[in-house]
Amino acid sequence: MPFSELVKNFEKIRSYVREFYVYGFRIREEFDKKSGRTYDNERRRLECILGEYTLSSRDSRGKNVFLSIDSRNGGRDPLYRLLRTSSFTDRDITLHFLLMDMLDETAPLTLAEILERLNSYTAGFSEPMIFDDSGVRKKLAEYEYLGLIRSEKQVRVVRYFRSETPDISDFSDVLDLFSEISPCGVLGSFIIDERKHSFFEFKHHYISHALDSEILCGLLCAISEKRSVTITVHSVKKNRTSSCEVVPLKIFTSVQSGRQWLMAYSPVVHEICSYRVDMITDVRIGEVSLRFDELRETLTGMQKNMWGVVCDKWAHPQHVEFLIHIGDNEEHIYRRLLREKRCGTVERIDKHTARFSAELVDSAEIRSWIRTFTGRLIQLDFKDRTAENLLRSDMEKMYKLYGIGGDENAVP
Amino acid sequence: MLFHEVYSAYFSAVSEILARAVDGSLTSDMLKQICDEKAFSESFLKIIPALTEEKWQLLYPDMSTQLTKAPSQPLTALQKRWLKAISLDPRMKLFAFDCSFLDGVQPLFVPDDIVYFDKYTDGDPFDDPHYIEVFRTALDGIKSGSVAEIVYHSAKGNTRRIKCRLHLLEYSEKDDKFRLRVTGCRNVDMLRVAGIESILLCPGLYFEPKPPQPQRMCCMEAELTDERNALERAMLHFSHFERETSHLGGKSYRLRVFYSENDETELLIRVLSFGPMMRVYASESLVGEICRRLRMQYEMGIK
Repeated sequence: MPFSELVKNFEKIRSYVREFYVYGFRIREEFDKKSGRTYDNERRRLECILGEYTLSSRDSRGKNVFLSIDSRNGGRDPLYRLLRTSSFTDRDITLHFLLMDMLDETAPLTLAEILERLNSYTAGFSEPMIFDDSGVRKKLAEYEYLGLIRSEKQVRVVRYFRSETPDISDFSDVLDLFSEISPCGVLGSFIIDERKHSFFEFKHHYISHALDSEILCGLLCAISEKRSVTITVHSVKKNRTSSCEVVPLKIFTSVQSGRQWLMAYSPVVHEICSYRVDMITDVRIGEVSLRFDELRETLTGMQKNMWGVVCDKWAHPQHVEFLIHIGDNEEHIYRRLLREKRCGTVERIDKHTARFSAELVDSAEIRSWIRTFTGRLIQLDFKDRTAENLLRSDMEKMYKLYGIGGDENAVP
Repeated sequence: MLFHEVYSAYFSAVSEILARAVDGSLTSDMLKQICDEKAFSESFLKIIPALTEEKWQLLYPDMSTQLTKAPSQPLTALQKRWLKAISLDPRMKLFAFDCSFLDGVQPLFVPDDIVYFDKYTDGDPFDDPHYIEVFRTALDGIKSGSVAEIVYHSAKGNTRRIKCRLHLLEYSEKDDKFRLRVTGCRNVDMLRVAGIESILLCPGLYFEPKPPQPQRMCCMEAELTDERNALERAMLHFSHFERETSHLGGKSYRLRVFYSENDETELLIRVLSFGPMMRVYASESLVGEICRRLRMQYEMGIK
């Protein structure tokens, strides 16, 4: 098959783009899931769509191609372009423009009238495209589902209107901002006139969420209707893909690590579990779950003992506490504690000392945050001694790595 | 269905071509230019023959079309549901957004469906009338390229009156804050919107136009050891920076991250969160600061 920029299924390019953008160090031979030819096609597609961000480097292993994007530069997420690559047939595109042209918001047409007009629209071409009843009926049903048209039954005859087109020309600032910071912002980006300049820029902006838009959209649709879903999840650790039916409850997003999780109840293990959204490859919406409200309430109750996304209901919350030294003119450290404490509690013990404490179902999750206070930690007290000891031994390793404390062998 | 051809770049390109055909201004020379602007680098190879060879029966050989009006597309149901969802966002108060046309539309999500569990809690006061007024004035000033007189309270508590040109608004999802980027003022290029006491646009005032000062960029070079899933965490964690990664062999990777000099303290904190899995070799100042913190910690000990 000749190369095409367009694809039928977004999943086909999603994992490749993640490799090129998030990782970016693998060479052609290391993409072992598919053939070399598939790699070449995906690389070419990427160069067509995101050419200005595609770079390459060469080392002893060979050449690696990667995407390098500083998401702070430029107000619009370039990865959204990837979601504009859906393929279609010659008939699809012809029918689209003809239907949008002939249908009106107020004067509806019957299927027979539409067919007649369609065939007269194409009559001027050397080999006119002929439209049949079933194909057009299918397209009308599809467009009705998408919301582009609506129908009305009048005395056994179905009449089709074009949906109303509200004037949204004044919303460009709203769209520029929310298409970047809101879940499924790509839907807003489709409306934006790209020729207009955006007056916003974004910091700490994880544009890779764009790649998960379709999956997230399916999950949000299910949550809004309180429905269960069957999700297909790829496990990197186990290198296998499996499907399971769950009740989706909430989306947990980390604005500091770039990851998103689906929090969902699994009837198999009778627990609320977290699933990385970027590892979900398919979402099928199922039946309405009668337990949705109760399960969501349970999750909300668990949040007071969750630092991140671990919410094991069988685990007893364990006490985590540490003391911080606040030097003269270092009130910003105390303010940092206050704004970053999440479900924890902060107490000011004296002018130079503050205490953080929390009851957490997983003490391991907080370790990386505690490490950010290196240089100011006075005391650590974890009920989970394993987690505490690991934190202490990490600190020893850090001293060694940077040659602190008289280690002669360390590289300064 | 979010991944659908009605949102595709090819449809946008053809829509633009047909709009020109309807108003009679389309020439064959314009076709490639429109494809390049609206779609991708090789799209013209598919779109132009498909239109000119009548596979897509929308354009006659004389560059006219059978369409009666310039193409337009109504909003899809998903787009309306998304607009309804953002209309419920607290930050929407910053705009005069009349969403009455969305009455009866079910939002795609409500604020309670999404938990930003590590967002800072001292975000901007989006429902404060004074803040809203400042934000709107600043946005108007940016659009009109106006000069403004601003009374500003810095985070350290100093008050300053400055005259500057407004450049753009920067939003941080982590901080949940807007900052106003300005030019033409000595020692000031970024102001917290929440710190602005008053802002007065002075459109008639002459102000020597100066381009924004480019931020001084630095490069962090670090070696990463892939233990406890550190590689995957680091790749995603630093993914919003311009960066390069290479595999050194075994569990070792080299990471180069390009960052603004102003953000060095923040980067330091982020690097420390990786503990011994990340050993930084450059920049010199970053390594120096890591060593200083470790020395402080070593001397302090941990009980």
